[in-house]
This record gives sequence, structure tokens and C-alpha cells, in this order.
Amino acid sequence: MKLPPQARRLTVIVSVLAVAGVTAVLATDPIDTKAGTDWWSPNDARPFPALNLYRNANGFSTTLNAAGVTTTKGHPFFTPLGSNGRACITCHQPSDGMGLSVESIRLRWRESQGKDPLFAAIDGSNCPSQPQGDAASHSLLLNRGLFRVFRPWPPMDREGKRIEPQFTVEVVRDPTGCNTGKQYGLQSSTPTLSVYRRPRPVANIKYVVSMGFAFEPKNGLPLPIDWETGKQTSFNLLADARAFTLRDQARDAMRDHLQRSAPATASDLDRIVEFEQQLFSAQSHDALGGSVTAEGAKGGPEVLRDESAGDLQYAGSPVWKEFLPWKLAKEGSQEQQAFRASVARGADLFANRTFLVWDAAGITSMQFGNPVRNSCAFCHNMQHTGMDVAPGQVDLGTTNEPFAKPAPELPLFKLTCKDNFKPHPHLGRVIYTQDPGFALSTGRCVDIGKITIQQMRGLSSRAPYFSNGSAATLREIVDFYDQRYNIRFAEQEKQDLTNLMSVL
Amino acid sequence: MRTLIALLGMSLPLASSAESVTFIACPIYRDTDAGRKSGCWLADDPKTGRRYDVADALIKPILGREILVEGVVTARDANSCGGVILEPVSVSVLESQCKQHLIPAEGFPSRRFILPAKTLQPANIERAVPAGPYENREYSVYFELNGDFLLYQHSEVIIDDAVTYIRAAKPKRIIVTGYADTQGFDVAGRHISEPISIARARAAVLTEALLRLGVDKKAIVQRAEGGAPDDAMAQQGLKQAGKRRVTFRVEVASSK
Repeated sequence: MKLPPQARRLTVIVSVLAVAGVTAVLATDPIDTKAGTDWWSPNDARPFPALNLYRNANGFSTTLNAAGVTTTKGHPFFTPLGSNGRACITCHQPSDGMGLSVESIRLRWRESQGKDPLFAAIDGSNCPSQPQGDAASHSLLLNRGLFRVFRPWPPMDREGKRIEPQFTVEVVRDPTGCNTGKQYGLQSSTPTLSVYRRPRPVANIKYVVSMGFAFEPKNGLPLPIDWETGKQTSFNLLADARAFTLRDQARDAMRDHLQRSAPATASDLDRIVEFEQQLFSAQSHDALGGSVTAEGAKGGPEVLRDESAGDLQYAGSPVWKEFLPWKLAKEGSQEQQAFRASVARGADLFANRTFLVWDAAGITSMQFGNPVRNSCAFCHNMQHTGMDVAPGQVDLGTTNEPFAKPAPELPLFKLTCKDNFKPHPHLGRVIYTQDPGFALSTGRCVDIGKITIQQMRGLSSRAPYFSNGSAATLREIVDFYDQRYNIRFAEQEKQDLTNLMSVL
Repeated sequence: MRTLIALLGMSLPLASSAESVTFIACPIYRDTDAGRKSGCWLADDPKTGRRYDVADALIKPILGREILVEGVVTARDANSCGGVILEPVSVSVLESQCKQHLIPAEGFPSRRFILPAKTLQPANIERAVPAGPYENREYSVYFELNGDFLLYQHSEVIIDDAVTYIRAAKPKRIIVTGYADTQGFDVAGRHISEPISIARARAAVLTEALLRLGVDKKAIVQRAEGGAPDDAMAQQGLKQAGKRRVTFRVEVASSK
């Protein structure tokens, strides 16, 4: 694809500045470009720059390539390795912090008239059985940014052995038809359960794969072992933790999203994993607050590149301390000072405002009690990313009733815990869910609706949020938590938290 | 040498002369809002009507689910939460449901959360290698009634210490024995006991933990037994709770 002139200019200038060591570009006024206008297609063959600066609704994000410029021609991350024309880059766009916003998806639909491999029937449509090329058949992707993720049912363990599930599954409702149809559903020759999820960003990966501690307390065991290396793994990959390593994740994506039938080559896996680990992405410039490194703040991707990963936050070193210097903001316009002070208050609230955490299996089922009083940083406790060092999966209520936002466009499942197994610790024996989450990997009742906690960097680049895209905006994230836990944030506090997330 | 590391992670006075209580109750959460993990957990003994403070239990209750309380009455200040403090105390969350009792602070200050004296170290911190000569050692971790879940921090610290020792001592054999309180006991007209299958599950989970931390599978022998008392826990007044455990004996030299 040809680059629009503006985007080309931006890329070239940023590359030149990076080569010259002028990273101060982030503190200057960025060059105007629009998110989604610089779509990277597979086999574009243009170099992947050292700095990728893109506009989004709240300012600009930067994806930093720590290895400098990468030649993409023939690189497996940028090459279609399967049968549907997609490459990794298709769903991990630089303009979107190496994730994929629904805004970019819609634009790509319009620009390609629905022909881009992004909209491949296998998972870019609500169900492959629906008429392709019709926007209605891709409504979950176009409206919520959701791809179909299809899992074998009952689940299989790492050696391909059937896991005896602790619960039965009934499809209450499925507008996509995928779970009820004979070709792809639970009654098919290869029983499959389809759920719909957002892609996660391929950036700041050293934090995602870091192991703060050797134990995984939410499951009451040490971290699991990678079958290839025999070493422990972070257990922080993918919503349902079905892949333990980046190599496993790449294999999974090649098979299911790129529709590759042959095994991935070791060389391709090595190069993909290497490339993923050299990318650092974050908001770098806010439309109101200006550079995220101004006045002592330490936002942006350089800090992510330079800091150690997997460190636990604590009272003396709270998560998002990067923005606490803005408490004393005094430079720039009054509007700019006010915004920076708001971000700092948001950081303070995030770490210190306590509330009662209820019925969040994973957290409230592991010994802390239900309820337990704590702050956002209780779970979002990893320095620089807001992931969970612990690590693990938690049922926030984004997919499980009664807390999930109603979504008649999504499937709804009724899961019933069998009599010979313990019921769910908070939801009992019968659970209604839009996505069983981690339980699709384990088959356990306690894991129903648990989703692996995501990193919080680059949020402004990749709306909507939560694994099922149920929060269209950052403000909706705050509203969800406010209602879910009856926190009763004041309006200003909601804005402060929203502003904080917008500069991450 | 036999090293027994107790569940509570701290040295406690022996409770031979102290009053022990065992009862089933519906837990009460007093929301004192005194910082992280600060709320009070209370339970009323239905037989005496006495209100106890069970916040020192390693496993905190789940509101709306009955709990089995086993503890020792202390003379510590009861004014922090509004109940007589039990310490040591074991809480097991039962499957039976009850009313959710969430009450306000009512002027009680609570006790601020204090980190345990010994916590699990980050993975990147080098463990001090224990000096030889190496001897046989035995470790124990404890569970709630019918539970096989290794407890955050407490079980983790014990297992981490043990694995550090195992890596240094390179034992010939590690005998993992799961125990269950198969005989059980009566409380409030209910008979409380565990099936032998939970003993096997406890041995299996401990074995899995050792394997994930790199212990050689060939060195591990797995067993299950019912009803064996645990002297250390019994001396602390938690006789029944002590039966819900797994021990793992690290044998450097062949045992007789």
C-alpha cells in the first residue's frame, strides 16, 4: 500500500531524528497525521522505523523500535504465513500502539470495501457461515473490534489430552450462529466454542513475559512450565492464558488467525519473538498536557524500554509514579497545568483510593476474603504497565452476569457446575456468561469469566477496552469500576482517572 | 534433624492452658476503612453468643458462606474490631450459604494490615545456598477443610525455602504425604470430616509445585494418609486443623 504523503513525511522525519539520537522529538509539537491513514499491509516492504509517531483522539502515541530500523521485506511479522493473506502486522498496527482500534478497523473496511484480509471469514466475521462481504456479517469486528476466538470443547491440556470439564455448557443465545450451527458449533464434528475478543498489543512485551515471583497465587501453584524450555513462564499472555510463551502465542495465531496449516518454522518464530520484544509503545504527547516527559514526568516509551520489568509497586513506589511530578505543574497555559495536575491526582487515586473489592474470583477467592478493601493498584500492581505481577486471571465481571454490560449482539452461555465439583465461589452453580475466559483453558468452575489482566499502556491508541470491547471509551472503564464496586467516585475523580489513562 | 515450619509463620506461645474454641458461624465483615486489607472479620459463636475476631486467620471468610472457626482465645485488646481476638486461628470456608453481614465501623478502628515477617522474595533475588552438611528435613503446609489450595505467601515461603534446600542438598528421595482428617469431629451437631481423596489431592498439588520449581520427578514419592495428628499444631491449640496438611520429607541419607 502507498503511504499518504503526510504519514510518509512523518515516518522519515522521525527515523532521521532517531538515528541522530534526537529523541527530544517527543517533547516538540508532533507533525499532523491521522490514526488509521497509515495502514500497514503485509508485504509493504517499507522499513519499520525506530520511532513511529501517530495521532489519536487524545494526542500522539509513539512506538519505539529498540533495534532501530527493521527491514520488513521477508520478515515473518510482516509476511503472510498462512492462507488468508494476513500477517501479524495486520492486527498489530503501529498507528494503534501495535494493537488495533475499532476506528482503524472501520476505516480499513471503507478503504478496502471489506476486502482486506483483516476481514477474513475465519475470525474477522461473526461466523464463517455468514455471507462474507456484508458488513452485518462483520458487525462484531466493525462495532466492537472483536475477533472470533474458537476453542475446542471440552478443553485439551498441553499434551492434547481431553480435560474433563467441571461444568456443562448450554448456548442461551447466539446471534452469530457460530455456537449453534452444525459446522462450527458445539454440535459440530469438532465441538468448538466461539467467543469474541479484542487483540492485545504487541509492545512492552518484556513486562508481559516478566516473572516477578515464581508463584502464581491465584491458582495456588508455582508458575507453569514451558514445554519447550522447561522453564517457568509469566502466565500473563492472552485473555484465557492458552499460550504460555510468545512462541506458543505465535503458533496459535498462525494456525487460527493466519490459517496456516503447516507447522511454524523455528526461524520464523525466533524472528517474530525477537521483533515483538524490541517494541515499546505508549502515549507520548497529550493534546492538552503536551509532552508526557515535561516537568519531570516520565511517560512515553523510552522509560518502558529502559526500566526493569516485573517490579511490584508499593506505598513508597506506587504504580504510575511517573506522573506524580505533575502535582506541581506550573509550566504552560492554565489549561495545560490543570490537565497535568488532574493526571497526577488520577495516579494518586489509582494507587491509594480504597474500596471494597467484591466477588472478583481470582482475587477474592484466594485467601484475601470477600470483600477485601484495596485500591486499583491491588490488581494493577506492576510498575510501568499496570499488569498484575502475581500474575493471573481475574473475574472483573466484564463477561459474567450479573455485572457484565448487556450485549445482545454477543453469545450468551449458561454454564452449570456439576454436582461432584465445587461451585463457583461467588456465583454458585449456574453462571451466565458472554465468555467463559480462563475456564475455556482449564474447565474449572472457579475460572469462569476470569480474564488475564492486560497492560494499560497505549490505551489512547486502541479503543475499545476490556477483552470483549464493552467499554467504548476510557471514561466507560472508570464508570464500569465505579458501578461494579460501588466506589462512588466524584465527577472530578472520574475525570482524573480518565486523564491518567489517556496519557499512559 | 526434623524441621517443622508451622502454618502461622511466627512463633506463638503454646496454648495448653488457653481456651480453645471451635464453632460454625456466619461471618461478619466490619468495614473499618483503615487502609488496604484493613476490614475486620468477626464471627459469633452460636453456643455462647460471644463475638470473636478471626481476622488473624490466613484464610479470610467469604461473606455469605458459613465458616468453620478453630482458634485460641487471647487476652489481646478486643476494642480494635469489636470481638475477642482468636490467635492462632484457622478459618475454613464452607459451601453452605448464609446471610451476608456487612456492618459499618461503629467507631472500631480495626488493625492495620501488616506484612508477614517473612514474605516470598522476587524471582530475581538469589537465594542464599544453605551450607552443608545436609540432613533430612521435613516441611509441612496446611489447608482449610476440604481444601488443596496452596496459600499465598505462607505456603509459598515454606515451599520456596524447601526447594532452595533441595537444590543444595540434592536429596535421594522426597516423600510427599498428604493427610486428611478422615476421622473428623462433631461441632454444633454436625460431623466434620474429610475424604481420603483430599489427602491424595494435597499430595498431588504439593508434588506439582515441586515439579514446577524444578525438582526431579524421579526423586518424589507420593503418599496419602488419613487422620494423623500434628504435634506442633496440636500444641498451639489447633488439633483438628493440624490434620489437614501435607508433609514432605527431604531425605538426603537413606532413612531406616
